[in-house]
Amino acid sequence: MIEVKNITKSTKEGRQILKGISFKAKKGDFIGILGPSGAGKTLTMRCLNGLTKPTTGEILITIDNQVHDIAKNKGKELRQMRQKIGVVFQGFNLVKRLSVLENVMIGKLGQINQFRSLFKGFNNEEAQKAYEALEKVKIEKLAKRKVASLSGGEMQRVAIARAIFQEPVILLADEPIANLDPTNAKKIMKRLKPLSEEMPVIGVFHQPEIASKYCNRIIALKDGTVVYDGNSDISEDLLMDIYGDELQEIENQALVSAPLA
Amino acid sequence: MSLVIDHPYLIPSERLKKRAFIFSVLAIIVIGLSIILDLNPLLFFTDGHHLINLLGEMVPPNVDILWEKKSIFSSILETLAMAFLGTCFGGGIALGIAFLAATNTSPHPVFRFIFRGLMSIERVIPKLVIILVFVIAVGLGPFAGMLTLTIGTIGMFGKLFADAIEEVDPEPVEATYATGASKLQVIKYCIIPQVLPSFTANLFYAFDVNLRSAIGLGIFGGGGIGFEIHMAMKMLRYKDALALILFTIILISIFEKFSDYLRAQILNEQTLK
Repeated sequence: MIEVKNITKSTKEGRQILKGISFKAKKGDFIGILGPSGAGKTLTMRCLNGLTKPTTGEILITIDNQVHDIAKNKGKELRQMRQKIGVVFQGFNLVKRLSVLENVMIGKLGQINQFRSLFKGFNNEEAQKAYEALEKVKIEKLAKRKVASLSGGEMQRVAIARAIFQEPVILLADEPIANLDPTNAKKIMKRLKPLSEEMPVIGVFHQPEIASKYCNRIIALKDGTVVYDGNSDISEDLLMDIYGDELQEIENQALVSAPLA
Repeated sequence: MSLVIDHPYLIPSERLKKRAFIFSVLAIIVIGLSIILDLNPLLFFTDGHHLINLLGEMVPPNVDILWEKKSIFSSILETLAMAFLGTCFGGGIALGIAFLAATNTSPHPVFRFIFRGLMSIERVIPKLVIILVFVIAVGLGPFAGMLTLTIGTIGMFGKLFADAIEEVDPEPVEATYATGASKLQVIKYCIIPQVLPSFTANLFYAFDVNLRSAIGLGIFGGGGIGFEIHMAMKMLRYKDALALILFTIILISIFEKFSDYLRAQILNEQTLK
């Protein structure tokens, strides 16, 4: 359960980029955040896992029945919260020289004893759990391969497995399919969707048609405010409203990629 | 409408003028410095026969020296040991310092400033000056040579290692921090795997460089085969000297091939399967 309460973020020069964003997400939500470039999508995501501090507002995340505010926490508390927040990045962000299984295990680094992680490493039980995370995204066969030898779609699935292995209470995905071809993009969406049964999944997407097909809730941002928060049946008029001039461009991209999909 | 060329380099005559200017400045500097140093190119023609005489006296090399003088082999061993130990100690310390001196792993910017500064000061001081200091401090011999190589390796390779750490892919590092990992965990699981191949390659390179330096340092009191060659030349035993030089060249070539082979094997193991 995550509750974003009226967060704002201003630059040092005083320009307000986020102008009061609020929403709640619970188990079962697969939220697609849409919006034109510069609307504050990525910044909102960075606030949600504490990479950026909002200027004002609260971000309440319930972990083990306790409510924490990630907007206030620092140092050790922030690290502890992050252990329970899974993040999937646009660029996959894997250690390419390590194997698939090793990359998945990195997801739990923060949760195991510091001394053991530095001098011994992971144990068999953890390796087994990591393998099970790979099974969930159906790439357990690649467990021993070096990440550098994988395709983009495979790498993103490893990244999802890494987030699953963290056993997070919430999963964030910042443009997880932006670097992928349409076929792989669909595969990734199919893997993300069932995860929302266990925890809220919040993703930023560039393709409204894919988001509305797989997500069950859409939040649209424009100029740092929420302009739509509701079911994923979004109309052409609403899209026009959200994207304005950018819409034509986005639809053209969709047309180009359509035959492949 | 007239043609407008907004880039001066596109006009050939301009380019020629510029080149002519640069070359004449260079020529003036070369001639001026030669006059200051009292260089006389004619000497090469009038006294050139001395060089040919010397080369004549060096052949045939007296290969027997290698068997007659038992100390030659221990000298070779000394040179190799100097280079190897200098690389081990210097490389080890350089690795430690590199993590303190790289922005993304340094515990505090002050460490970075201090260690980067110390290493660049070290690089400015020639090795031949450093060994003179060590020879006075610990006496003539391979120990002074090894200490010199250790210091030199720290200055040169500490910087290379630190640069390699700073150049790692930042994305997985960010992702690992995002899982709540600590800095030491990020270093072990994210940064070291990325820099390991470059560390390995550079350590082998350091040994190559140190082996050559070790021979040169011998002349300045570091002992080893360099010292033997120096003594042979000083005592006008030119045939002995040539034998030692040839022997050294062959030996270094063999070691270089061997270290190339080892490096390839290790890197192969580290790279993608």
